[in-house]
Amino acid sequence: MSFLYEPIGLSHYLAVGAFLFVCGIVCMATKRNALGILIGIELVLNGAILNFIGFASPYFRDENLGLDGHLIALFVIVLAAAEAAVALAIALNFYNNHATIDVDRASELKG
Amino acid sequence: MDNLALYIVTSLIFMPVVGAIVLLFLPAENKSLLRWFTLAITLLVLLPLLGIAMPGADWLSFQVGDGGVQHVVQLSWIPSFDIQFFLGIDGISFPLLMLTAVISLLAMGASWTIDQYVKSYCVLYLLLLAGMIGVFLSLDFFLFYVFWEVMLLPMYFLIGVWGGPRRQYAAIKFFLYTLVGSVLMLIALLMLYFNSDLRKLSPQQLTASYVAAWDNGGNLLSAEKYKQQLEVSEHAVHTFNILALQQLGQNSDAFDQRLLYGKSVQWWAFVLLFVGFAIKVPSVPLHTWLPDAHVEAPTPISMILAGLLLKMGGYGIIRICYPICPDAGYDLAWLVCSIGVISMVYGALAALAQSDFKRMVAYSSVSHMGYVVLGLGVWSATAGNLFDPTAWNMGVKGALFQMIGHGISSAGMFFMVGVVYDRVHHRDLNQFGGLYGKMPVYTAMAMLLFFAGLGLPGLCGFIGEVFVVLSAWNFSPTLAAIAAAVVILTAGYILWAIQRVYLGPQYHGPHEEALTEINRREMAVAIPLCVLAIVLGVFPAIVFRYMDKTVDRQVTDLTRWTEEVKLPRLRAAEAEADQEVAANEP
Amino acid sequence: MQTLLPYLPSLLAIAVLLPLGSFCAILLGAQWLGAKGKFAGTLATTAVLASTVLSFFSAGIWFTAHPAGAVDHAAHEVPPVITGHGYTLATLAGTNVGINYYIDALTIVMFCLVTFIATCIHFYSTSYMHDELDDVVDQEALLEDGESLHRPGRYARFFQSLSLFCFSMLGLVLSGNYLMTFVFWELVGLCSWFLIGFYVERTTASTAANKAFIVNRIGDFGMLVGMMALWGSLGTLNFGDIDQQQGIFSQVRGEENHYALKVPDGMVRLAAGRQIEALALHATEPLTTEQLAAKVNAEMPVWREANLGYGLLIIAGLGIFCGCVGKSAQFPLHVWLPDAMEGPTPVSALVHSATMVAAGVFLVARSYPIFLPEVLLVVACAGCITLLIGASIALVATDIKRVLAYSTISQLGYMMLALGCGGWAAGVMHLVTHACFKSLLFLGSGSVIHAVQTNEMPQMGGLWRKMPWTAGTMLVGCLAIAGIGIPSVFGLPIGLAGYYSKDLILEQVYAFRSENPLWGSFFFAAAAGGACLTAFYMFRMWFLTFWGEPRAAKRFDRAHESPRVMVVPLVLLAILAVCVAWPAFSWFGLPTLSRSIEQARPAGIWADMHGALWHITLPEESKGHTAAVTSPVGLIELGAALAGIALAALFYAWKVLDPEDVSRSFHPLYHTLYRKWYFDEIYQAVFVRGTMALAHCASLLDRLLIDRLVDGLARLGVGLARLSDLWLDRQGIDGLVNWFAEQTYRLGSALRTLQTGSLRQYVMLIVASTVAMFLLISFWTLALTG
Repeated sequence: MSFLYEPIGLSHYLAVGAFLFVCGIVCMATKRNALGILIGIELVLNGAILNFIGFASPYFRDENLGLDGHLIALFVIVLAAAEAAVALAIALNFYNNHATIDVDRASELKG
Repeated sequence: MDNLALYIVTSLIFMPVVGAIVLLFLPAENKSLLRWFTLAITLLVLLPLLGIAMPGADWLSFQVGDGGVQHVVQLSWIPSFDIQFFLGIDGISFPLLMLTAVISLLAMGASWTIDQYVKSYCVLYLLLLAGMIGVFLSLDFFLFYVFWEVMLLPMYFLIGVWGGPRRQYAAIKFFLYTLVGSVLMLIALLMLYFNSDLRKLSPQQLTASYVAAWDNGGNLLSAEKYKQQLEVSEHAVHTFNILALQQLGQNSDAFDQRLLYGKSVQWWAFVLLFVGFAIKVPSVPLHTWLPDAHVEAPTPISMILAGLLLKMGGYGIIRICYPICPDAGYDLAWLVCSIGVISMVYGALAALAQSDFKRMVAYSSVSHMGYVVLGLGVWSATAGNLFDPTAWNMGVKGALFQMIGHGISSAGMFFMVGVVYDRVHHRDLNQFGGLYGKMPVYTAMAMLLFFAGLGLPGLCGFIGEVFVVLSAWNFSPTLAAIAAAVVILTAGYILWAIQRVYLGPQYHGPHEEALTEINRREMAVAIPLCVLAIVLGVFPAIVFRYMDKTVDRQVTDLTRWTEEVKLPRLRAAEAEADQEVAANEP
Repeated sequence: MQTLLPYLPSLLAIAVLLPLGSFCAILLGAQWLGAKGKFAGTLATTAVLASTVLSFFSAGIWFTAHPAGAVDHAAHEVPPVITGHGYTLATLAGTNVGINYYIDALTIVMFCLVTFIATCIHFYSTSYMHDELDDVVDQEALLEDGESLHRPGRYARFFQSLSLFCFSMLGLVLSGNYLMTFVFWELVGLCSWFLIGFYVERTTASTAANKAFIVNRIGDFGMLVGMMALWGSLGTLNFGDIDQQQGIFSQVRGEENHYALKVPDGMVRLAAGRQIEALALHATEPLTTEQLAAKVNAEMPVWREANLGYGLLIIAGLGIFCGCVGKSAQFPLHVWLPDAMEGPTPVSALVHSATMVAAGVFLVARSYPIFLPEVLLVVACAGCITLLIGASIALVATDIKRVLAYSTISQLGYMMLALGCGGWAAGVMHLVTHACFKSLLFLGSGSVIHAVQTNEMPQMGGLWRKMPWTAGTMLVGCLAIAGIGIPSVFGLPIGLAGYYSKDLILEQVYAFRSENPLWGSFFFAAAAGGACLTAFYMFRMWFLTFWGEPRAAKRFDRAHESPRVMVVPLVLLAILAVCVAWPAFSWFGLPTLSRSIEQARPAGIWADMHGALWHITLPEESKGHTAAVTSPVGLIELGAALAGIALAALFYAWKVLDPEDVSRSFHPLYHTLYRKWYFDEIYQAVFVRGTMALAHCASLLDRLLIDRLVDGLARLGVGLARLSDLWLDRQGIDGLVNWFAEQTYRLGSALRTLQTGSLRQYVMLIVASTVAMFLLISFWTLALTG
C-alpha cells in the first residue's frame, strides 16, 4: 500500500481519473435514464481531464504536455458544457414527445 | 479474240452477281419485272454456254478433240498463299455447266409460283447460280471451296424462307449436313496444300497444269523460268492448283508420307474428301438431309437441288478425289463401290415405302445417285498388269452421263410433282388417282419423265444406268448383280406411283375442282425437259462427244499411274510377303 | 433381185421405222387426225401394211440371194448373215457401243411373221375398237358412288401404242447386239404395259400392267447379269462380226475350232484373274505387258482344261435365258401373262400370244451359239414345267381368254423344251406356227367376246349358229394347236401347221431320250401328255363356246357374226394356220417354212453337244428325223391329240361324263388348278410382302435410326452449347462475381446485428474492445520486449 503513503504524484491523478472514468462508463452502461447517461458522460470527460491535467504538470514529469494539457482540459470543459446543453435539449424534447427519458425506448430511428 | 472468250467465261460467274446487284435497285412491288429480269439473266448465262457448245467459232467453241482444260482464266488473287482466280472448262465440267444453265433457266420458269418476297428470292437465286457455276468452273482448290460455300447460304434461305411447313428443320438440317462436309473438305484441302510441293514437278508437268507465277512487273513467267526459281527455293512451294495437285498425286510421292494409323496423307485426304462429297451426293448413310430438304423446298428449288446440287458431289469425286489421291482411290475402291450399291438398294427400298409423292422422288434421287458413285468407284484394275481400261472408262462415262440424265429426269419429276401440288396442295400418293382423265397432256409428259427416271431405254436414264452396271462386272460380279437387281425395285416404285397418281377411275383427294390442264408456262418448262430426256436417250453421243476426250485422258493417266506406280508397289509388297513366308519356313 | 441385197438393211430399217413414224404422228397430232382420231387407225394400219410389204419384198430378195435348199445336215454350212453398224451410242476406250443389225433367215422369217400378223390385227382392231370412237361407258371401272365411268374414247391412243409396239418388236428382231436387244426388249415391255393397262381406269388393268412390267423386269435383271458377264469378259455385245471386230458368236464358236463350242479366251482370262495376278506379282522381275500376255497364253490350255470360265459362260447363258423366262412367261415368272388378258383382245392376240411373248423363244434361238448344254438343260426343264403348269390350269379355267393365255404359256413351254433338247429348228418352227394359230384363236375369242360381251364360257354355248365364220375358223385353230395331221400320205406328212412343229418337237425329245434316258423319259412323257391336254382344253373351250345349247339366252339373242373387217383377218389367219408349214411349197420353188428356218441354223449346231460338268448329250436334230423315231412319235402324237379331242367330246359335246362330277371327286386337285397352283398367293406373300416389309424397314431405319442419330447429334451440340453456357459462364465466371457480392452482403448483414441501437451495449462494446486492445497490445509489447 505504498501508493497511499507516497507524495501526490502522477499516478494518483491517474488513479482518480481512472476511477472517475470507470464510474462514468459504468454509469453509462447501466443507466437507461438519459440524464444518468449524461452524468456518466460528464464523469468520463472529467476523468479524462484529470489525466490531461496530470500529464500537463511540470512537477511530475520532465516530458510534460505543459500548457497544452491545460488548454485541452479547458476545451474539454467547454465541449462538455456544450454537449450537456445539446444532450439536455434532446432529452427534454424526447421527454416532451414520449413522456419518458428511457433511451431504450428511443428506437424510432433504428434501421 | 482470245481475250473475249475469257471475258465470256468469267462473265458466266459474274453475270448473275451483277444481276443480283441490279435487282436490288428494282422496285419490289413489280414482281413480274423482277421475275422476267431474273429469267433474262439465267438466259444470259445459258447463251454463252450454247455458243461454246456449238462448233464453228474457233475462238469460242469447245474443242472436242482436246482432252485438256480450255478457256483458262488465270489471275492472281491472294499471292501470299498462291491462291489464284483460276477458271477453265474441260469435258467433265462442260456438260455439267450446260446442265446447270438449262436447269436454272427452267427452274426460274417454275418460280413464277413464288409470290412472297419475290425480290429477295430472285437475288438469292442468282447468287446460288453464281455459286454453282463457280464450283464447276474453278480449278483452284481454294476458289472451289469458296464457291462451294457461296452456294450453301442462298440455298439455306431459299429452303428456310420459301419452303413448306417443316422448312426450318429441313433448312438447318441441310445446312449442318453440308457444313460438316465442307469442314472435312477444308481439312483435306489444307492437308493437301501443306504437303504439296511444286518443286517436284517437271517443266512439262508445270505447263500442263497451268502453274503460273508472276514477276514483280505482273508479267506471267514461263514454265522454265519458274522452274528455275523453284529449284533455288529452299522451302516447299505449296499450291492450291487442282491440276498441279493432280500431277503431284500421280507423279510424285508428295502425298505418300504416313500420317495417322499407318495411313498416308492421301488416304486420309481421300477419306475426308469422299465423306464430304458423299454427303452432297448423297450416299447412304449420309443421305437423310435430302428427303427433308427436297420435300420442304419449293418446287424450283427442289429442281435445282436434285438436278444440280447433287451433281457437285459426283463432280468433286471425279475431279478431286480420284486424280489427286489415286493410291487411296485404288485401295478404297471397294468401299466406294459398296457405298454406291448400298445407296442404290436402300434408296429404292425407301422410295417404295413412301406415301409422300415428293419424298418418293427424293429417295429415287438417292438411288439414282448411287449409280454415279458406283460408276466412279469402279476401278477395274485387276492386279497383275491385266488392266482393262474399257470397263473403267465405261463406268466413268456412265456415271457422268447418269449425272446429266438424272439432272433432267429428277428435275422433271420434281416439277411434275410441283405442278399437281400447286393445284391440290397435297402430296399424299394415296389421295390421288384418275389424273389421266383430267389432265391428259400433263399425264403424258409426267409419265415420260417418270419413265426416264425408271431407266427406260430410249430415255435419258437408261444409258447411264446400263453403262455403270455393265462396267461394274469386272470389278465385282456380286456388286454388279445387286446393282442390276435395283432395276426391279425402281420399276416397282415408279410404276406403283404412276398407278396411284395418274391411273384409276377417279381422283379421291381434296380440291378436285382445281385439277386443270397444265398451263402454258408449265408447258414451257416441261417440254424442254421431255425433249431433252428423249434426245439424250436416243442420241447420247451428243453428250459423250464433249466428255470423251477428257475422260479418256484422265483414265489413261490413271491407268498409266496404276501400271507404273501402283503395280510395282503391290509387287513389292507381294515379294515381301513371299520372303516372310520363306523365312518362316525352316 | 440379187442386186438389191445391199439395200436389204435399209429396207428392213424402213420397215422398222414406219410404225415409229406412225406412233409419233398419232402422239403429236391426234387432234388433227379426223373426228375422234378415226384416221389414226388408218394411219397405223397403213404404216404396218407398208412394213409388211417391205418385209415380204425383203424376204424375196433374201431367198433369191440365198435359196433355201433341201436340208443337208452334213453340209456344215455357215448360215448367210448380214451384219452392220447403224450409229454409235458411245465410244469407250476404242470399243463402240451402238445400234447394229444382224440379218439372217430367222430375222427375215420373224419380220414376215410379225408384220403379217400385226397387219391382220390392225385391220381387225379398226373394227373391234370402234367403241372407242365415241364416249365410252366403262362398266368395269366403277366410281366410288357405284356408277360406271364415262370417259372420252381413246381410239387414237390404242393405235398409237400398237404402232410403238410394232416398231419395238421389229427393232428387237433386227437388233445386232445384246444392248440393242435389251433396249427393244424393254420397249416391248413398255408397250405391253400401255396396252395391258389400256383401260387405265380399271384398277385390275393397271395392276396387271404393273405386274407384267415388274415381272418382266425380274427377267431383265437376269438378262443384265448375262450381258455383264459377256461384256466384262468379251468386251463386246455384238452378235456377229462387224468390221473386223469379232462378235460374241464367233468368239464362242470360232471358225478355227470348226464352230464347236469353246469357252472364249476372254472368259478364261477373267475367270483366271487370280492365277494371272499370281503370275504377274510373283515374277522375279517386272514383266512387260507383252511378256505377261505370252505367259498367260502359255497357261491358257491348262486353265481351259480346268474348266475355268465355263461357269462364266453358264452365268451368261442363264442370264440371257432369265430374260427370256420373263418375257416368254416361263415358270417361275409365268404369272403375269394370264393377268395381261385385261388388255383389249387384239392386244392379247398380237402382243401376248403371237409376237412379244415369243420374243423370249426368239432370243434363245438367237443366242443358241453361246448356250452350253448345261444351260440348255435348264431351258428344257423350265419349258417342261411351264408346259405342264400351263396346260393343267387351262383345263379348269372358265374365262375364254384365260384358257388361251394358259394355252400360250403351255405352248411357249413346248418351244423352250424343244430348244433345250437341242431342237433348234423345232422350237423356232413351233414359234412361227403357234403365232399363226394362237393369234387366230385370240381374234376368234375377241369376236365372240365382242358378240356376247362377256369372257365367261359358262354364259356362252351354241354360238356356232349365230357366228358360223368365227366358229369355223376357231375350229381350224383348235385342230391346228392340237396338232392334227396324218403321219404319211405319199411319203409326206400332211396336217395342219401345229402338226409339223409339234411333231418335230416330240421327235427331238424322243431323240434326246435315247441319249439321256432319265431326263428324256420325263420330258417325253410331259410333252406327249401335254399334247393330249392341249387337245382336251382347246376342244373343251370350243365345245363350251360354240356347241350345245345356249346357256345365257339374253346374251345369245344379242350375239351376231362380226363385221367383215373382223372376219377377213380370221380367215386369212386360218389359212395360214392350215398351210403355213406345208412342205409341199417346195414343189413350186417357194421356200418352205422348215427350210427357211433350217437355213438360219447357227453355225456349229449340226453336231451333238456334250456337257462338261454334267453328263448331258444334246443330239443333233437330224437324229430325230430317222424312221426309227418318226413313225412311233407320229403315232403317239396323233393318238394323244385324238384322245384329248375325244375326251373333250365325251365331257362337253356328248355329255357322257359330267365335268361337275369329276371336279367334285378330284376336289383338292381341281381347287389347286382353279387357284392356279397358288402361285399368285405365294408370290404375293413371299416376294411382294417381303419387299414391302424390307422397304418399310429401310424407311423406318431412316426415320428412327439415322434421323434420330442426326437429330441426336444436333441436340447433343445444342446441349453442349447450353452446358457450356450454364456451367462455364453462369456458374463459373458469373458465379464467382456473384459469390463475392453475396459474401460481402452477408458480412454486412452479419455485422448489422451488432448495431442494436442500444447505447449501453455500445458502451460495453467500446469498453470491452478497448480493454481487449489494451491487453492485446500489452501482451504484444511484452512479448516483443520479453
